[in-house]
Amino acid sequence: MQTTAWPTDSTLSPLHPDLVWVMRIRGLLAAAPFLALALVLDLGPLRETPVPPGIVPGAVLLVALVLLALLPSRRYRAWGYREEEDELHIGAGLLFRARTVVPFGRVQHIDVAHGPVERRFRLATLILHTAGTRGSAVSLPGLRHDEAERMRDRIREKIRQDLV
Amino acid sequence: VTDSPWSTDAKGPLPDVAPPAPPQPEPRRLHPATLIVRWLRIVPQLLGGGAAYAAIVDGWGQILLLAAIAGLVGVGIALAVWLRFRYTVSAGEIVIESGVFHRQRRVIPFSRVQDIAIERRLLARLFGTAKVKIETGGSASDEGDLDMIALADARALRDHIRRGHGVAEESESAREPVLFAMSFGRLFHSGLFNFSLLFLAVIMAVLQNLAQFGIVSMEEWFNPERAGAFAGYLTLRTTLILAPLLILLGVVSGLARTVARDFGFRLTRSGESAAPGLRRRRGLFTLSEVVIPIRRAQVALIESGPVARALGWFKLSFQTLGADTKEGGVQVAAPFARLDELRPIMAEACFPMPPPRVDFIHIPRRALWRWAAPWLLIGAAATAAAFLVEPGVGLLGAAMLAAAAYGTLRWRKHGYALGERALFVSDGWLKRRLWIIPFDKAQTISVSRGPVQRRLRLATLLVDTAGASLLRLPEIVDLDAAEADELAGRLLGLFYRDRSAARIALEKTAPMLPPTTVRPPDDMGLS
Repeated sequence: MQTTAWPTDSTLSPLHPDLVWVMRIRGLLAAAPFLALALVLDLGPLRETPVPPGIVPGAVLLVALVLLALLPSRRYRAWGYREEEDELHIGAGLLFRARTVVPFGRVQHIDVAHGPVERRFRLATLILHTAGTRGSAVSLPGLRHDEAERMRDRIREKIRQDLV
Repeated sequence: VTDSPWSTDAKGPLPDVAPPAPPQPEPRRLHPATLIVRWLRIVPQLLGGGAAYAAIVDGWGQILLLAAIAGLVGVGIALAVWLRFRYTVSAGEIVIESGVFHRQRRVIPFSRVQDIAIERRLLARLFGTAKVKIETGGSASDEGDLDMIALADARALRDHIRRGHGVAEESESAREPVLFAMSFGRLFHSGLFNFSLLFLAVIMAVLQNLAQFGIVSMEEWFNPERAGAFAGYLTLRTTLILAPLLILLGVVSGLARTVARDFGFRLTRSGESAAPGLRRRRGLFTLSEVVIPIRRAQVALIESGPVARALGWFKLSFQTLGADTKEGGVQVAAPFARLDELRPIMAEACFPMPPPRVDFIHIPRRALWRWAAPWLLIGAAATAAAFLVEPGVGLLGAAMLAAAAYGTLRWRKHGYALGERALFVSDGWLKRRLWIIPFDKAQTISVSRGPVQRRLRLATLLVDTAGASLLRLPEIVDLDAAEADELAGRLLGLFYRDRSAARIALEKTAPMLPPTTVRPPDDMGLS
């Protein structure tokens, strides 16, 4: 019943590849206000300066596109998870890489969240809440929705057994 | 023995026999003295609000009239709040109804109660009443406060909630075995170490309040001209007089605070074997009584400042689930004690004592690249600049070199030890902290690596526990990366081992864990 192996990168299974597109669309939505601001500046105040039209919005768009092309795929590769008999291992983080293990017996409640973008790709985020401080909410995005629900049901069953 | 409706008269446990059906619980109100205390609290607020009008009206007659109106309104409010506040204690839960306009009905099942504290302020002691704080680990701070009920009722309620129902045994804390107590001499001694400049804040607060009423004007007192004039007075002689005075005041106020808080400190073993706990009583003006249930104790923390440690004094506290959030979920069990005095407390709480210093495993030497090297480099550059260009930079250089030295000293003390039942983590050079984390109390285990750590093959390991403060997490920073992964795996295995052992012990209702092997007295990794 106990699994003592600590996963290294190779033993974690990757998330659903569509997560890259979810992250890209989210990034695009996050970049939209900056683009809009740049456009407004370009049409308004910047016309009174010698800055040629189109430079500022173009630069913002270029930066956004480069970031959107590079970051999501790299962040996706940093993610990984392994579902064990009694615990969930999660690897996350591009700059600060963290491996976290959540024993199912410690889970207080479980969320399956899926935002509008995730729904379109039929993906979901599994969030495990524990009584800990820093690890009080451990989330695992990029699961197929039915897979997330299956995991949730299994963990719930585990918690119930744990309580008996 | 109390005559409160929820205490049954049965003596001792009643195996197999269903307890006699308790009488139908009736809603109760708070102690009538609450009216007076609340009135005393409301009227100054009302008067404070009315102070603005006092500036408009003139003549003592009108001021007196205002005061009388405030007094009467205060009576009305206090009465309305008192009438609306009702609580009902039944076998498994307490229901609290409150609110004059916005009514609230709160149900707290006893199984969710984490902590019950009894607090007695000065006025409460005059009336023989107490405030009961029921904590459930939820987010609301005043989630279950009964302010105030008769002291006997408060004790009965607490005992009732703590042992569930069915077992009623009068708890007389005077008969409980004392685990730790402080004489006045000890208290005084400990106060000397609690230097505090709190009085400055108190003076400022008083001034600010007076300024609100227009008695003094802060703007007039604290302006640049005055500051300039004051700087003129600040000669060497006045500094030589003022500085010791300030230090003396700091010592005295620290002493006063410690005596007020820890007067009559007594830690006893509370309750019966079904729900063992540590009962702590302390306070000079405000008497507080807290029971730390041993099952709720997550982590033990032994800490000590530099001077106190040199003289052999330590502070022990327990991090509990759902304790007062103001104190970061930490309850002090012994504020000022010898290591040998901590032994019985730790044994009572089922925590192992730390191993000697030599058993601690230290972090690798290359971690100094992170702990000292950055400061050393900046410090060296600044010192060079001080000699070559601008002498003023020397101050920065000195500060950075001091930071590098501090980092090195702290690096030497940072480490961990793996005991039979717990992980020990030590940190800090001036103020030394030693966490004792039983394996089965882990919530999550994580290993993380930042960009610099990855280059140096280092990693940070954290065993997260319930109720930990975000500011002071027992992290093991900059372990060798491979060692961190291996340790995390071992901790996970030990977590499962001890958790199933604890569950079996719980089923047998035997003592939770086997006693540890007793080691000879030593420094316990704290020197």
